[in-house]
Amino acid sequence: MIYRLDAVGKVYPSRRGDVTSLAQVSFEVAAGERVAVIGPSGSGKTTLFRLLNATLRPSSGVLRFHGRDVASQSPREARAMRRRIGTIHQQSLLVPSLTVLENTLCGALGRWSLLRALRSTFAPVRADVERALAALERVGLADKRDARADELSGGQQQRVAIARIVMQDPEVILADEPLASLDPALADAIAALLLGLAGAGRTLVCTLHDTARALALFPRVVALRAGHVAFDAASEAVSPAVLDELYRGAPLAAAALPPTRSRDPVVAC
Amino acid sequence: MIRSSRVELRRAAVAALALAAVAAVIASAVVAEVRPSRLLDPENHAAVRALVRGLFPPDLSPSFVRVAAAATLRTAVIAVVGTALSLAIAVPLGILGTATLFRRGPLTEGERRTPSALVLATASAAARAALGFLRAMPDLVWALFFVVGVGLGPVAGVLAVAVSYGGVLGHVLAELFDTVDPRPLEALRSTGATRLQIFVFGIWPQALPSAVAYVLYSFECCVRAATVLGLVGAGGIGYELALSMRLFEYGQILTLIAALLALVWLTDAASGVLRRLLRANVPAGVLGHRRLRAVPPRASRATAAAAVAAVVIACAAAAGLFDRGVLDADAPRRMAGFVRGMFPPDLSPAYLATVVAPALQTLGTSVIGTVLGAILGAILGVAAAAPHAEDDRARRAAWLLRQALRRGCRFVLSLLRAVPEVLWVVLVFLVLVGLGPFAGTLALGVHTGGVLGKLYADTLEEVSPLVLRGLRATGAGPLHLLVWGAWPEARRMLISYTVLRWEMNVRTSTVLGIAGGGGIGIALYNAVQLGFYPQAATLIGVIYLMVAATGRLGDAVRRRLESASLHGGRR
Repeated sequence: MIYRLDAVGKVYPSRRGDVTSLAQVSFEVAAGERVAVIGPSGSGKTTLFRLLNATLRPSSGVLRFHGRDVASQSPREARAMRRRIGTIHQQSLLVPSLTVLENTLCGALGRWSLLRALRSTFAPVRADVERALAALERVGLADKRDARADELSGGQQQRVAIARIVMQDPEVILADEPLASLDPALADAIAALLLGLAGAGRTLVCTLHDTARALALFPRVVALRAGHVAFDAASEAVSPAVLDELYRGAPLAAAALPPTRSRDPVVAC
Repeated sequence: MIRSSRVELRRAAVAALALAAVAAVIASAVVAEVRPSRLLDPENHAAVRALVRGLFPPDLSPSFVRVAAAATLRTAVIAVVGTALSLAIAVPLGILGTATLFRRGPLTEGERRTPSALVLATASAAARAALGFLRAMPDLVWALFFVVGVGLGPVAGVLAVAVSYGGVLGHVLAELFDTVDPRPLEALRSTGATRLQIFVFGIWPQALPSAVAYVLYSFECCVRAATVLGLVGAGGIGYELALSMRLFEYGQILTLIAALLALVWLTDAASGVLRRLLRANVPAGVLGHRRLRAVPPRASRATAAAAVAAVVIACAAAAGLFDRGVLDADAPRRMAGFVRGMFPPDLSPAYLATVVAPALQTLGTSVIGTVLGAILGAILGVAAAAPHAEDDRARRAAWLLRQALRRGCRFVLSLLRAVPEVLWVVLVFLVLVGLGPFAGTLALGVHTGGVLGKLYADTLEEVSPLVLRGLRATGAGPLHLLVWGAWPEARRMLISYTVLRWEMNVRTSTVLGIAGGGGIGIALYNAVQLGFYPQAATLIGVIYLMVAATGRLGDAVRRRLESASLHGGRR
């Protein structure tokens, strides 16, 4: 078992009272499985993903990765775990001021020593560059290698994020709404890329708000609603009535973002 | 193909620049007489130990506390009145210097070039040049001049602060007015509005929040400046500090430093409160790109204005500005005599030859001081900005430790920043390394470290947490995040701040000599004291040229950086 969740819950403390994002979530993911996570906005999909890639810890329950409880992990162990998990985020989280090639190289950060990371900022190791170029080739962006990430379109940025995953070469790929804000043709291409990566014995967990695509592309669907698992079923068993039930009702309020700090002028005296 | 030619080219350019920078730093270290061995001299250590031991117990006798309080009050008074008067210089010259109103841009396009328009354009350019000159001269040099005019005392300090910060503020205001959104101005012009109307209804409201923020911020700078003016006779904390140092009364030093820190921190806090109250905030480094409206109701604004006016008038009275005989008929005559005495400046080759060495020393001091400051600031700033792991709160001990580190570094930075460079020379480095440019360099480095460290920390904290989250998900550690996420995102701002600071340090370096820190300052001080006015004129000219030239250089670098960051910028 890659993942095993037992009654996992996540509560965000906030000034106006705690916000429960997930409660009593239990399911398992086996190696090589392809799972779609669906559910209305605010149902806790993004929080679930951040728990799965160890950038958040559960506030209750037990989350096991390869049988080990993540709550007992040291920061170093958490980093080692993240290295084995590739994450594609809802909006592309590239470093805007770095080039496409450099952003792809970032996939190897978890493996690099600090010295190699430092050196790679101006003279990356040849083998790393070759792997990164191969990854860019795979997503069809090799010709954009020296463009800055913020010069790319949304679809191109998403493809760089996938190239970064190829570079990282993880056991598990977590994709959080990778197809959101893409046009249908591009969405098909990106979905094919992801499923192609998952084919090679890798596990893929993917959230999608496009339920038709989720059912068509993934053999198993886990549905979240208001922080709970609404159902966990094989795709062919999911009927339109069940989906209708899932998406009906008022969506929960989205988790509040931390306030941005205002800033004093330059101290120059 | 592993490397593209574009990357290859960029790498070559970076390597060439780095090489040139290293050469410049080495040359600077030579002329600034950097002698690290002096830091290790056991004799100097003994002197420092004696000083530190002497600090305790602080002198808290009622008579001295009265002296310290009076000195602090005098410094505060100089700063308040100086700031108020600086506005009287900055606002009119700033408006007249606004290029979009008089010289270029859509408002002047298609206008007939009438003689009066030409006169205005010339006056506008002259106003900018005048502001540039006022700004280029260090405040201590202005103080020397006014001491000749009105004699020793707070009035000379007030005038020095007013003139030099009037120049700084006027320049900033003119830039603010120049960079407001031009579309409303064109709309106003198309209704037939006059220039004055365009200014009042188009430019002023847009620039106001940033302008208020900069005025308050300039006030903070004036307080720091006022503390050192005592060294040349304006009185106040700086004077008392120098006096106690000379008398080896180290117990008094600690009391005075405490008073200085209290004054500086109180000012910063008060100015922060006012800024928040008036919602006057500007993003660092950018003049008026983000504008905030919401201003408190008219009634409370009127009350605040009345209160500020009352404080200013009370301070002016306390500074003796209204005393009879302060601005007697002789004062203008003495100052005019001083200025007349400077012409013609001594441009004989023999004299110019003696100016070269101290001028180079001043430049070297500014470079090494800035490099030291950047290193110190980077260490403290990175520690102060150490990002929290996103779920750090769960690990209570780690979170508390990191919080303590951040707070501690912020505190040290504000301490380094609170003491002006010149006082660092007097209080620490003369004792530690003796008279000379090395003391000035170290003092510059320490203060610059405090300023740059804060800016670095603020900039690093502004890096989007989402970008860092994306990297963290690959298993990158905190230092990896710094190298591959925070640095590339922040580097343009960091370099830009450092270059800006270097420009300011060139100006500061010219006066470090007055406190014994080497460079051109001591020559100027002597020339003025001994009445060698033609030589003083030459030195002032050299200072102006150095400050103006480095300012040009810095402007060019920063413009390049800014245009590069705008190109393809997502935000």
